[in-house]
Amino acid sequence: METKQPESIRNIRRPIGLVSTITVNFFHLRNPWVTAAWSALFPGFGFIIMGSYIKGFLLVGWEFLINSQAHLNTAIFYSFTGQFDLAREVLNVRWTLLYLTVWVFSIWSSYTLTVDLNKLAILGTREKSTMVPVAIDAMSINFLDTRQPWIAAGLSMLSPGLGHLYTHRIPTSFFLMIMLIATVYYSHLLEAIQYTSSGAFGAATLVLDPQWLLFIPSLYGFAIYDSYVNTVEYNKLFAQEQARFLRDNYQRPRFRSRLTALKRQEEA
Amino acid sequence: MFVAGSFEYNLHLELAISELEKKGIPRDAIAAFIMDSRVEERKILDTIHRADGISSFDAAALLGTFLMLLGAIYGFVLPWGPIIWGIIGFITGSVLGFLGDVFIARLYKRRDSGGKTGTNKGKAVQVVLIVECDRARESIVRDIMWDNLALGVGALPG
Repeated sequence: METKQPESIRNIRRPIGLVSTITVNFFHLRNPWVTAAWSALFPGFGFIIMGSYIKGFLLVGWEFLINSQAHLNTAIFYSFTGQFDLAREVLNVRWTLLYLTVWVFSIWSSYTLTVDLNKLAILGTREKSTMVPVAIDAMSINFLDTRQPWIAAGLSMLSPGLGHLYTHRIPTSFFLMIMLIATVYYSHLLEAIQYTSSGAFGAATLVLDPQWLLFIPSLYGFAIYDSYVNTVEYNKLFAQEQARFLRDNYQRPRFRSRLTALKRQEEA
Repeated sequence: MFVAGSFEYNLHLELAISELEKKGIPRDAIAAFIMDSRVEERKILDTIHRADGISSFDAAALLGTFLMLLGAIYGFVLPWGPIIWGIIGFITGSVLGFLGDVFIARLYKRRDSGGKTGTNKGKAVQVVLIVECDRARESIVRDIMWDNLALGVGALPG
């Protein structure tokens, strides 16, 4: 006995993505080494890249708490500059060991989750799954559209979070903005930029706090990278969805040209 | 007669189609050709362990971030301070990562194309619309296509 699933169920089983009013969450191919590397730079970033927001936010919050309590960044700074005694002194051993297992887990888990999501991405594409390209509710509107990846990257360079607002990824944007405020304030970054601009390099070095400054490169790099990649992938997703629409509706022409008319006459 | 227009995927394409239908062109007189491009084909054939065509940004972002971190650290003990060295690290890392990835991508390309060179520059045609209409409607169809960002429009008299 042959049983065949209707197409509607097949699309639900292997979806390609979902447009919701706060973000578009979707599967696309990623390099697992890249997500693992982002998780190594900042636990949780690998998961945010994949759209696994809850895990990502949990781990990012965890990183902020444990790292700042253990003074890990300060210890990294002392170690890299050869001041090993100071590094030993500054580490708070009541917190430090908590860091290790979760850090390793987040790298490993990012890698394996990416491999699994890649399988789902391939299956969704092969099933030619489609999605509703617009979402609207009382408070927000979101839709698939084509956008410029370099605008997203440029906005993120100016202020992390703006690139994600441009592509309407509200959860990432909100989180990056909160992180930016906290790290910029506690690291005294803006004062240091002010001093550096007027040539007072010594004052800039003195005012900066390495514990918080060391969060900033990952924050900036991640914001630029993630907003750029997502814009590229949104554009591909838009093309995929529109191609599906055209295939379903505009590929059964009944041209009435003389040629087909002649052919029909011959057949008759 | 036939009028053909080439397009990229965007909302204008759907606006064009709906406007054609509004002007009285029946749905079964419109055919959409979905054009595959060679690059796309190669991406699908990539293994799941490799990124899909965006990898020229992966290494740039990661190496840029990493060298920015090192720049900020060593900036504390170097003459110009962490800000300048952080920026120097970011630019150096991004450029190095980007160049490295372009180099690797070129190696892959040479291997995949089997020695064939010659690439398509400029915008790739993604969709071709072919519309059958009578001679009187030709200019309307042409105008609708041009107004909705067609890359090119042509007609076959008949």
